[in-house]
Amino acid sequence: MQVLSGLSVGMFLFLVSVGMSLIFGVTRIVNLAHGSFYMVGAYLMVTMVEILPDRPWSFWVALLVAPLGVALLGGIIEVGLLRLIYHRDPLMQLILTFGLILVVSTLVLIVWGPDNKSVSRPDILAGSVKVFGQPFPSYYLLVLVLAPLVAVGMWLIFYRTRWGMLIRAATVDREMLGALGVDVSALYTQVFVFGSWLAGLGGALAAPTVAVAMGMDGDVLTTAFVVVVIGGLGSFAGSFVSALLVGLLQSFGILVFPAISIVLLFALMAVVLIVRPWGLFGRAEE
Amino acid sequence: MADAPDGVTLRTVSLKKHFGGVQAVGGVDLAVPRGDVRAIIGPNGAGKTTLFNLITGDLAHDSGAIYFDDHEVSGLRPHQLTRRGMGRTFQITSIFRRLTAFENVQTAFLTHHRRHYNVLVRAKSLYRGETSALLDRVGLGEQAAKPSGILAHGDQRRLELAIALASSPRLLLLDEPTAGMAPRERHEIMALVADIARETGLTVVFTEHDMDVVFAVAKRITVLHQGLVLAEGAPAEVRANADVQRVYLGNPEPAH
Amino acid sequence: MTASAPRVIAAILIVLAMAPLLLPPFFLQLLTEIAIVGLFATAFNLLMGFGGMVSFGHAAYFALGAYAAALLVKKAGVPMLLALPVAPLVAAAGALLFGFFIVRLSHTYFAMLSLAFAQIVFTVIFKWKSLTGGDDGLLNVWPPALLKSPMAYYYFTLAVVGLCLLALHAIISSPFGYALRAARESPRRARFIGVDVRRHQLVAFVLSGLFSGVAGALFAFYNGSVFPDFAYFPKSFEPLVVALLGGVHSFFGPLAGALGFKILEWLISRQWPVYWPLFLGGIVVLVIIVLPQGFVGLVSGWRWRTRPTV
Repeated sequence: MQVLSGLSVGMFLFLVSVGMSLIFGVTRIVNLAHGSFYMVGAYLMVTMVEILPDRPWSFWVALLVAPLGVALLGGIIEVGLLRLIYHRDPLMQLILTFGLILVVSTLVLIVWGPDNKSVSRPDILAGSVKVFGQPFPSYYLLVLVLAPLVAVGMWLIFYRTRWGMLIRAATVDREMLGALGVDVSALYTQVFVFGSWLAGLGGALAAPTVAVAMGMDGDVLTTAFVVVVIGGLGSFAGSFVSALLVGLLQSFGILVFPAISIVLLFALMAVVLIVRPWGLFGRAEE
Repeated sequence: MADAPDGVTLRTVSLKKHFGGVQAVGGVDLAVPRGDVRAIIGPNGAGKTTLFNLITGDLAHDSGAIYFDDHEVSGLRPHQLTRRGMGRTFQITSIFRRLTAFENVQTAFLTHHRRHYNVLVRAKSLYRGETSALLDRVGLGEQAAKPSGILAHGDQRRLELAIALASSPRLLLLDEPTAGMAPRERHEIMALVADIARETGLTVVFTEHDMDVVFAVAKRITVLHQGLVLAEGAPAEVRANADVQRVYLGNPEPAH
Repeated sequence: MTASAPRVIAAILIVLAMAPLLLPPFFLQLLTEIAIVGLFATAFNLLMGFGGMVSFGHAAYFALGAYAAALLVKKAGVPMLLALPVAPLVAAAGALLFGFFIVRLSHTYFAMLSLAFAQIVFTVIFKWKSLTGGDDGLLNVWPPALLKSPMAYYYFTLAVVGLCLLALHAIISSPFGYALRAARESPRRARFIGVDVRRHQLVAFVLSGLFSGVAGALFAFYNGSVFPDFAYFPKSFEPLVVALLGGVHSFFGPLAGALGFKILEWLISRQWPVYWPLFLGGIVVLVIIVLPQGFVGLVSGWRWRTRPTV
């Protein structure tokens, strides 16, 4: 039972973190504003649900549209800002994406106001189901189904499509790819948009389960960092394994130390950093 | 472990290192006596830099042992080896670019005298005499106040030499010390090294590609080939060695 | 810096000491804040400009200093003059704990993890309501009556900040500082002159955290209250922007940056308080994009100077 809960948390974390890891793997930029994209996804979900008529299908439409909105935001940012700094010092890139955190969160505040928002679960998922005799929120089943679907979909893309092959090649050697005539710049945009979409999907999915409020960006960013650092920046498998690990740890940790699950996270990350600083599946960078 | 005979400053025993499937260093035995000026030569990929990195603790060895003045030092980290008297320069010039030449050497003196955790004194006034003297010795006296990053390549190499010397090493390992220099400058700097070694009893081990320089300066030569010692001896012996000629020197030297 | 830096500090202090005679009380408060931010940024810059390590989560130590001071005074009944030297030790302890892990990492991971640790501090403060008051913060954290007036606290801040600046300057121009810069320039070369680079950087990290904690504690008593957002993103961004603005390779750069930054913040926050983070982030983003070198005196840029830099 706890395992199931941990798995769903883990799957959810995977959705949220893999985008950041992917973007880094290809473009070598750590998008510190990743948490902000997640937050925008959640807020867009709120708006979509509000403006759509009260029908059974409106939740699903919102779930479809909100991440697309974030993908669009990501595309604008990549083309308008990031393209101009790819050749710059990684420090400047980090500072820029850090600045974006402030910009996006203030914009969210301006557009949606300071009050907490919420999204209600769709009727068919509003209750709970019995799993091993215990009630389990039905909504989490959505995560448990959707996230692995996305994971499998991504795996198929990476290993079965040409585009995916280009992405894998880019994570290993970008310059070579450019030398082979691939439009690396377009690839970067596509990857960034995809990563943003993933973040937005995470936020939209999360909206019915958490308080949609200022500060969401920070929480998620930290957790995503932990997952990505443990799993290894740029590693798809790493994000998956690490997210599950962290999810399980969190749900078991809550049993033992309700308030200090974050400290447990910290401890896990500390151990990994001492033993393998570049993450479980990562590559040592020099 | 049996005691090493007197006077051997650096000894490696069956030192091995592999990377993936490649045996970079395949069992190297080296014995460098005190005061030697030892050239390590060999084609690219022979394992010279790997050997250096193993000796200086930058790389962990797979098996074998390293002895410095009869003490086993295999596995010690670079700053520990420096404390024991091992100095090194690098293939790619490693100096403190934004510091002046003077500050570069001064910092080396500060750390050598273990004062680098001291926050109570002003560093500027310390070891000025020694720093000036050392800079003069390597020919950088005029350039002391310049930020080292703008010095000419050859001067940067001299500076790195000075930095290494400031730590009063007993053994100095120079990795391609003359890389990127014009022939005359190569001879100058290696002659400088040989002079200093003679004056101070320093043991020097260096890698080099320019055979003229090697034969001019080295007391003994070790030839590496594919991770193993191919030949070792005085310059004339090595030059005459048929294996060495075949592998490295090309056609036999015409007799003079 | 030339040997006259302590004299420069003294001169600045003397000039500032005369401010109350010329300026209305409001400006005293602004100057107090400028001094505090200047200290925070200078402490931060010990790590960034001189150590070559860019922390994206320095608010953690500022907040630890502020909360430690507030808690000591409110819950332990410790007098402020005793709380002020003790609180930074808490910040230093935090820096030791986090720094131990962070200094093992290279730039990108260093930045990420420093950010994550600041978030952890924020979350702990936020959630541990019984101790920290959570979202409501801790209120009525005032200095004793003697120091309560704007002018008195202003002088007090000048004195404390002045002392800390002298200490920081001493650190930077000491053998420790020279070795720190060496480690920044070439860790490899530094190792080969006998510097244990990791340990050296950890000590620098702790010192930086210590003085950031002083800034936090000073701010707690100035503000009269402490809140979780002392550990949040904008606060971490602040010393970074201030240092870059003023120049990271000079000792006084961050102080100059603090002056400019605070004036800018005052002007903008007056009109649009909510929008300040937007401006801050936006301006930084613009500067990075538009200026080829980014800010003046970059970490990675190279400038030839006629005088040796310290």
